[in-house]
Amino acid sequence: MSDRYPGYDVLNKRRTPSWNEQTRRVIDRRLAMPRDPHFFEAAEWLTLEAVCARIMPQPRTRPPVPLAAMIDVKLHERQGDGYRDHRLPEMGEAWRRGLRALEAEARQRYGVAFPALSTDEQDGLLRAAQDGALKHAAWQEMECSLFFAKRLLPDITAAYYGHPTAWSEIGFGGPASPRGYVRMGFDRSDPWEATEVKPGREAEATRSNARVG
Amino acid sequence: MARNAELVGLAALATLGAVAAACRSTTTRPSARSNNARAVDSASALLAFSALADSSVEHYRGSFHNKTMYAPLAVSALTLAASLRDLFRPRGHDLGGSVVENLALTTGIIGTGFHIYNVAKRPGGVSWLNLLYAAPLGAPAALSLAGLLRKVTRGLREGRQIGGVRPSKLLAGLVSAGLIGTSAEAGLLHFRGAYHNPAMVIPITVPPIAAALLAYAILTPKQPHPVTRWSLRLLAGVGLLGSGFHAYGISRNMGGWRNWSQNLLNGPPLPAPPAFTALAMAGLVAVRLIERSDA
Amino acid sequence: MLDDPQTIPRGKNGRAPDVFRIGGWVPMREYADSDAVDFAIVGTGAGGGTLAARLAEAGFSVVAFDAGAWWRPLEDFASDETHQRKLFWTEERICDGADPLMLGTNNSGRSVGGSTVHFAMVSLRFRPEWFKARTCLGYGADWPVDWRTMWHYYGEVEQALKISGPMRYPWGPKRPRYPYRAHELNAAATILAKGAEAMGIAWAPTPLATVSAPRGSSPPCVYRGFCVSGCSTNAKQSALITWIPRAVKAGAEIRDLAMVGRIETDPTHGLVTGLHYCRQDRWRFQKAKNVVVAGYAIETPRLLLNSTGPHCPHGLGNSSGLVGKNLMVQLNQAVYGTIDEEVRWYKGPPSLAITEHWNYIDRGKDFFGGYCYMSQGPLPVVWSGAIAGARKLWGEPLRREMEKYNHQVGLKMVGESLPDEHNRVSLADEKDRFGLPIARVTFSYSDNDKKMIIHALRFMRQSLEATGVGDIWQQTDDTCHLNGTARMGSDPRDSVVNADCRSWDIRNLWICDGSVFPTVGGVNPSLTIQAIACRTADRISALAARGEL
Repeated sequence: MSDRYPGYDVLNKRRTPSWNEQTRRVIDRRLAMPRDPHFFEAAEWLTLEAVCARIMPQPRTRPPVPLAAMIDVKLHERQGDGYRDHRLPEMGEAWRRGLRALEAEARQRYGVAFPALSTDEQDGLLRAAQDGALKHAAWQEMECSLFFAKRLLPDITAAYYGHPTAWSEIGFGGPASPRGYVRMGFDRSDPWEATEVKPGREAEATRSNARVG
Repeated sequence: MARNAELVGLAALATLGAVAAACRSTTTRPSARSNNARAVDSASALLAFSALADSSVEHYRGSFHNKTMYAPLAVSALTLAASLRDLFRPRGHDLGGSVVENLALTTGIIGTGFHIYNVAKRPGGVSWLNLLYAAPLGAPAALSLAGLLRKVTRGLREGRQIGGVRPSKLLAGLVSAGLIGTSAEAGLLHFRGAYHNPAMVIPITVPPIAAALLAYAILTPKQPHPVTRWSLRLLAGVGLLGSGFHAYGISRNMGGWRNWSQNLLNGPPLPAPPAFTALAMAGLVAVRLIERSDA
Repeated sequence: MLDDPQTIPRGKNGRAPDVFRIGGWVPMREYADSDAVDFAIVGTGAGGGTLAARLAEAGFSVVAFDAGAWWRPLEDFASDETHQRKLFWTEERICDGADPLMLGTNNSGRSVGGSTVHFAMVSLRFRPEWFKARTCLGYGADWPVDWRTMWHYYGEVEQALKISGPMRYPWGPKRPRYPYRAHELNAAATILAKGAEAMGIAWAPTPLATVSAPRGSSPPCVYRGFCVSGCSTNAKQSALITWIPRAVKAGAEIRDLAMVGRIETDPTHGLVTGLHYCRQDRWRFQKAKNVVVAGYAIETPRLLLNSTGPHCPHGLGNSSGLVGKNLMVQLNQAVYGTIDEEVRWYKGPPSLAITEHWNYIDRGKDFFGGYCYMSQGPLPVVWSGAIAGARKLWGEPLRREMEKYNHQVGLKMVGESLPDEHNRVSLADEKDRFGLPIARVTFSYSDNDKKMIIHALRFMRQSLEATGVGDIWQQTDDTCHLNGTARMGSDPRDSVVNADCRSWDIRNLWICDGSVFPTVGGVNPSLTIQAIACRTADRISALAARGEL
């Protein structure tokens, strides 16, 4: 699937009225996030990276999103959701247990670590987790489908779509303060928004997106 | 910045217009008729300028999604150029006969039709929401008015009636009607702004009063009408004051002038209020003519 | 950031942040802990913030406490969903029941200004019959207040917040004109409007608590679309920029970053004497002649249940046993679809159009209660969570789905769930960082809920189909808002407070937030909560004048 918004980058608007100072601070911090683990141990980290790569594969034409690091930071800094399903342990414990259980399932099924599996094998295990089919003792009382639905999938997608790379990928306007939007009708956009590719007119969209910022 | 240049130009035109309207024929200048014609030229130029600036910004905001949205820009520019030319050429030669004025008149009428369609086609049809936010119904009329003012200048220069009506009365009638329409348009948009600032009642008080006085003057020619004159002079100032208020309005929106790319489009329209100044200038000529029962 | 509003309180040293001026301050009166203030209010949201303002303006001495930070929106708020989670209650609560709730973005704020800092600004009035739901409509419970009284206070709140609403509201008795004009529709809202016209029902621009024209220091809305992540322009008329500044101006003190842990009562006369609060790691005790609990439907019962004593072993003011019970959420299911045109629903407030058709029609329903639905505009993180959760997508299929972002449209309901004692807030064994037992929130859908959901999803789907929307799918598991856990009534045996929000058990204990709703109605609760607070303030003044305080 080729880029719908070629050449569009919300970061180009960093110095425009679409971004305020607090937004710059926050996004800069996210972009400068250290890529090494503080919460997870080494083996857990490798499994996490492999899981992230399957749940949200990195974009082909845009800067990568440090998914594992973002989750590690979230757990390390205890940025909770403010609630948890009673059937799940607390956030950090749930992740640790889930990653270790996936690791155990991989070894049990294929004899190698999860990161060493082929992508099809990894997808198979993840789908089994989503369907509630994994029963290794390592899960303990944590239902694998619940872990998948309430922790693994939402945390990874939130990390991905909370990153500027994803915003540019989907043509989201991105940060917008003090400048918001003028044109709110169908097929109308402001010059600081993304231009979507029209069939046969890719160059036009690229040119238009290059002017954003 | 382009906007600053426009503001300077606007101020210059308005000053010029005010001067032209105020000048009398007791100098060594050519005939009073020509002077009056040139004063009305200034008015139609200012009105065309306002229409040009306003339609440019608003149709840009509408992304020129229909190619005919370029028409009012071209026609108002043409009308502006024609009126300026007539203003500055000493003999006030009329450019292009009746072409420009008819083009302006027709474009305004067709534009009004488009705007009515724009309102009616939205969910809710002709509803408060759509009247407030869809294409403004009264805006294209400014172009038609500019065209009609040009008809009056021709009548003034050629010393003849227009459509069986004396130029003085036609002019007064046009200005009066134009003021009511412009006032209603401003009133509607200020209603959208919830009259959050007390000054926003000015465009729904001063212009209707001036319009009423002017209508009264039509009915009572050959008499002095000092109150009418003063109300029109006040109105001329109100037009400029309005742009000042609108500039203040833009500056107090989120991001102020720095957020010009949004606030010039979403904020109160800078070039709209001088339409009152233009009509006031034309109105002053009409009063002068009616007082002396000329033309 | 020189000061971190999440660790260093801003409301101290005789001043409060001026939310309208960058770095600005306004003077704030302060009281000593040993001053027995007239009213100590727990929580500064739609209930507590409004009440603090009205009581202070009536001349009472008021100290209001909030566990949350005192934000300066112009400086503190970023255009980033993840960072702005700082507006939500992020300390742990346990959710159980057959259908454990999701909390946070949809119902739990923690700020000075409460959930009004992150709410979607939808400001709707109750249908009059709902105040007599049992008598008139045969379900739930009656409110002990008359609808005309409430509609009077709705008018006051709408004026106070300069609600931007339509010239003609299609449903219910005639109401005074909204102070500001409605906002224009974005494309997402136009889909609702067209669908409604196709289905032959009325629709309206949603009355919203964000201004469509300048108001004082508030600029008009710039349609940036981050509303539920906090308004960084102050167009949104949250309690933080309306009631709280009024309260401070009238002499109230607001203490931010102040977690109230326990309300103290004197065993001899059973009246409350004050409350224990923790601020900057120190526990203190504020004396008060009256305590108002306004922590919303989870924290209010939690505090009452944590404030046990020898004479109230089951929680403060809980002789009815109903504190924490009858938790009502609102059903928040949705249908979504894709169209060929670009919609870009991230522009503008998320719910610019609404239909309350099914709030005012009683036939054609096999369930009690009503629902409204509104157009939507979720930002990427929330949207990806919705797709992943409802459509179970991940990997390339999720990416492909998300790439359609600018072509999505949706309709989301706000539906009335009925009071059920099994849905409740209780205490868990786990403790938070203050050493206080955390809340356990138990919820299960009822048969009535399930029938309403089926009806609403079918109708909303038909509406989308009628406008040519394709690839329609539904989000079946979502709720919003929280109410009912300390409900008001006319009988102390089946309510916690009376019509004046006064505890039946303890005459100087009051509850003034969404917990007091006997029924929740099919509209967002914020306007009703503020109206109750205004009425309560007037009632308190009247009682004080008669010496009945």
